[in-house]
Amino acid sequence: MDIRLLRSSDIPNVQLANLTNLPENYFLKYYLYHALSWPQLSYVAVDVSSLEYNASSNPYTSKPPKIVGYVLAKIDEDNNQTGHITSLSVMRTHRRLGLAEKLMRQSTRAMREYYNARDVSLHVRCSNQAAIGLYTERLGFAREKVESKYYADGEDAFSMKLDLVSAFKDEEKAAEGEGEKTDGVDEGGEVGEAGKKEEKKTVKVGRQLGVQSLVENVVQKPSQQVAGA
Amino acid sequence: MLSRTSNRSSTKRVRPRSANVRIRTDRMSPGLKAADQILKKNPNHGDTEAMKALILNSLGQTEEAFALAKTALKDDMKSHVCWHVYGILWRSVKNNEEAIKAYRFALKLEPDSPQVLRDLALLQIQTRDYQGYIQSRNLMLQQRSSLRLNWTALAIAHHLAEDFKSAENVLNTYEGTLKHTPSKGDIEHAEAVLYKNMIIAESGDVQRALEHLDTIYQTSPDRTAVMELRAKYLLQLDKKEEAEKAYRALLDRNAEYRAYYEGLEKALGLDKSQKQELKELYASYANKNDRIDAARRIPLDFLEGEDFKEAADSYLRAKLHKGVPSTFNNVKSLYADASKLKTIEGLVEGYQSEGVANGDATGATTKKDSFHETTLYFLAQHYNYKLSRDLKKAMQYVDKLIELSPKTYDYHMTKARVLKHSGNISEASKAMSHARELDIKDRYINTKCAKYQLRNDENADALATMSKFTRNEVVGGTLGDLTDMQSLWYLTEDGEAYARRSEYGLALKRFHTVFDIFDVWQEDQFDFHSFSLRKGQIRAYVDTLRWEDRLRSHPFYKRIAVDAIKVYLALHDRPILSQETATNGVDPTDAKAIKKAKKEAERREREDAERREAERKAAAAKKANATADGETKKPDEDPNGKKLRETKEPLAVATRFLAPLLEFGAADLEVQHLGFEVYLRKGKFFLALKSLLAAFTIAPEDPTAHAQAVRFRQACKPLDENKAVLDLASSSLPAPFNDAKADLASHNEAFVKQHADSPRHVYNYARALKALDPSSSQGQKTILEVPDRCKDVNLAQGLEGIALLRELGSEKASIQAFAKKLQDKWPAATILEREASR
Ligand SMILES: CC(C)(COP(=O)(O)OP(=O)(O)OC[C@H]1O[C@@H](n2cnc3c(N)ncnc32)[C@H](O)[C@@H]1OP(=O)(O)O)[C@@H](O)C(=O)NCCC(=O)NCCS
Repeated sequence: MDIRLLRSSDIPNVQLANLTNLPENYFLKYYLYHALSWPQLSYVAVDVSSLEYNASSNPYTSKPPKIVGYVLAKIDEDNNQTGHITSLSVMRTHRRLGLAEKLMRQSTRAMREYYNARDVSLHVRCSNQAAIGLYTERLGFAREKVESKYYADGEDAFSMKLDLVSAFKDEEKAAEGEGEKTDGVDEGGEVGEAGKKEEKKTVKVGRQLGVQSLVENVVQKPSQQVAGA
Repeated sequence: MLSRTSNRSSTKRVRPRSANVRIRTDRMSPGLKAADQILKKNPNHGDTEAMKALILNSLGQTEEAFALAKTALKDDMKSHVCWHVYGILWRSVKNNEEAIKAYRFALKLEPDSPQVLRDLALLQIQTRDYQGYIQSRNLMLQQRSSLRLNWTALAIAHHLAEDFKSAENVLNTYEGTLKHTPSKGDIEHAEAVLYKNMIIAESGDVQRALEHLDTIYQTSPDRTAVMELRAKYLLQLDKKEEAEKAYRALLDRNAEYRAYYEGLEKALGLDKSQKQELKELYASYANKNDRIDAARRIPLDFLEGEDFKEAADSYLRAKLHKGVPSTFNNVKSLYADASKLKTIEGLVEGYQSEGVANGDATGATTKKDSFHETTLYFLAQHYNYKLSRDLKKAMQYVDKLIELSPKTYDYHMTKARVLKHSGNISEASKAMSHARELDIKDRYINTKCAKYQLRNDENADALATMSKFTRNEVVGGTLGDLTDMQSLWYLTEDGEAYARRSEYGLALKRFHTVFDIFDVWQEDQFDFHSFSLRKGQIRAYVDTLRWEDRLRSHPFYKRIAVDAIKVYLALHDRPILSQETATNGVDPTDAKAIKKAKKEAERREREDAERREAERKAAAAKKANATADGETKKPDEDPNGKKLRETKEPLAVATRFLAPLLEFGAADLEVQHLGFEVYLRKGKFFLALKSLLAAFTIAPEDPTAHAQAVRFRQACKPLDENKAVLDLASSSLPAPFNDAKADLASHNEAFVKQHADSPRHVYNYARALKALDPSSSQGQKTILEVPDRCKDVNLAQGLEGIALLRELGSEKASIQAFAKKLQDKWPAATILEREASR
């Protein structure tokens, strides 16, 4: 089982895994929105044993990568210092192999590295023992609060948070130790601040563009501006 | 997980949208009023008419909008606004060609209009008119060269047109204007330079790509990307020592990616024969961390003999002791090697007795040792797997497991799978339903249950099962939600179940729904042409465009296209089927069955009417605040696919499904077979021959091509005037089909004699004979002998025989006799009876 970055071409199979495992589903464009806004954050688990896929040869006789698990993640549109897990699931036939945990680790690390995120949040059904165990015990998430009737069927959600700064403290320290080659191109602190500002700007520009509709999982035509009008 | 409630209707996230919609409509009506006022004073004012047309269109009054836009153009041919609006209207109905034409007119009148230029450019990239896109982006850059994204866009245009040099030049020119290096947090910059690196690499200059990468390596925030690229370049440039370091660094971050291990192997100069070295390498990674799987699992692929046995033993024990239920799925690919299969079988069989003893010995712990149970579960799956199948044993293990733990749904699920493999689809469906009831909150088992119900032709029950996890209050109910959420698997299986019962209307309805979803997916990229430029994530965007270009190469597309084409071929061959009556698919001599079918059809009609009524009401109730996606959904005029079924040109529609198949699947035998079937019926002999030749090239010995070649020759006989085709046939088809005068009847007899024990040869003999001598019943007779003559006939081939007998017009009694004989081979296979009694 490979753990690797999600590519656009994986999306139909990620969507299938999501529809198979979870009641919270999204149309393809919403996955594209993730893949094109934060392409570093979403990961897939691929069953490589069935991997004969080669884009250049006949795509129909060889199979596309068999996606057995995925994590779909983003940066909060309102707070660019917070990552968010939109969806995570692993096919029943491939559970307890450690896939979910590994997917989460890759994704959260990218949030930290690329977006300099300070924490990551998610929602989980209060009855979902397996997932709660994974988040709290293995990954160190903390329960923030209960959101009553969060889900369509009326179930409550725990909202959870993981502090990324401390989660990756050791790893970052180790990396700094190796980073003598850096010739002092940039200072750590400044980088963080600069990152924050730039980030905000980018997101805003994006939103003006009618992405809003996507944020809300709704397809709308971007408003047309007419010549001379 | 992000819930759909929060996403689509209730929580704070969505409120701004509803407000938005309200504001928009609010804004529209004054707009309409204002337009009307101007038009009152100035009745033929083109621009105002155009604006009004635009407003009408956004209110859903498309026809009126088009009419008014045309009037506007009549009133003011020289107004670029009128042409622009006309283009926008065409675009809104997805007619890109007309839209582009209109935008071009507008630009002729007003060459500098940025809005028109922008809209034109978007369509050019959408339709992959790269040269046009380069032109437009050039103009846009001239208009606003201070915006970085205008430079990036032009580079993308050149890049996609495969002009790497120009693409790079454009990016370099912009970089040259930068006064100081942008900060590390400038994502747009970070991505633009990585994008440049991608272009350099794609141009083939790996050395330069590496040099360039080194200049941005330290500062790039995308650590994964730069590390992967660097490792790859180093390896390509044969800098092995550095490549080794690079791959080791990658593995330290993610030890579950085979591409990294493969890179490391290459960097170390190891090939698969150096087993000892490889073993040590992987062991060094396995020892780093208990939780690494790949470093333990990969050696099982290359180790052999005793080494394999030892490694497999410790791997399996660890997993089984932990109680990992998916252990089997993790190793089954090793079964391609028969000796590995036997070794694993032996090992796990051996654990059985051991497990109990162990379990007892350590039974003192509170947590029960799952080793024994997991071992049994492994064996149940093992004996159910196609390469190691022994369904009787599989069922014995399942029964044991159920006795041990009656409430574990996985065991009932496996039972259902065993039943399915023995051909007992009705019991399989029941077992899966039982499994579902053991955990009604788990969607995975719910999904499997619905699938098994569909396989057993229980469409209504399957939908009811699905409804437990869908939003059923949306327009169209459960099915509407499944369509909205693009649940391709369900739509496909549902359609196939209808197709099996010759309910072609509903079958086609589902296949067309999936076909349309692929269109939506293609359309989905449109908004990102502008969005991605602003977001600056260019590599992901380019990657997405390339994927979109191959969208329909996905097997999900192939499956419904094949299904739909087969239905359309049947409709063409037997037009009577398109007149689906209440008694469709039912033996016309069986009065009871007719009555039952009629009742069933009436019931369905009634339910449909009720459902439509309910939907109408729901839609009316919702009208005030529009539907979920802010547009009012039109009611489906043809919910049961009646119109699709009654098409006057089934072959023309089939060709639409076929075109992408041939584009992406030229090397696929099934695709070429279908191409032949469609084109032969259309009388397009050249194209039919092309497919036939391709099929012969892909699989020279495949029996289907035999029958198709005979049919091709028969069909061409009356047309000697079509010389080019016949010449090609003579020069390219294998003997004896290269000879127009060959005695194909004797050839066909020799063919069946030579392959008398192969069902698929017999079937194609019969197909060929039907073309040679339509009055002969010898073909059917030979098929009826298959159960006796072909010792190795399998279930799928048996089912194919049943379908073919029906196609050839055999009597129901002989089809059932055929099925009966097969059933003696597989007593549990109730599917035979079901298919024979259709
Ligand atoms: C939750 C889910 C993603 C876990 O996937 P997974 O790949 O099986 O999880 P992992 O193997 O990585 O498990 C890591 C750890 O999580 C905990 N865990 C996982 N499954 C568990 C279970 N069924 N019971 C208790 N703990 C469990 C364990 O601590 C486990 O470590 P261990 O195996 O060493 O004991 C998976 O069960 C799933 O897809 N469920 C359905 C969809 C879903 O609920 N998604 C999450 C919505 S918020």
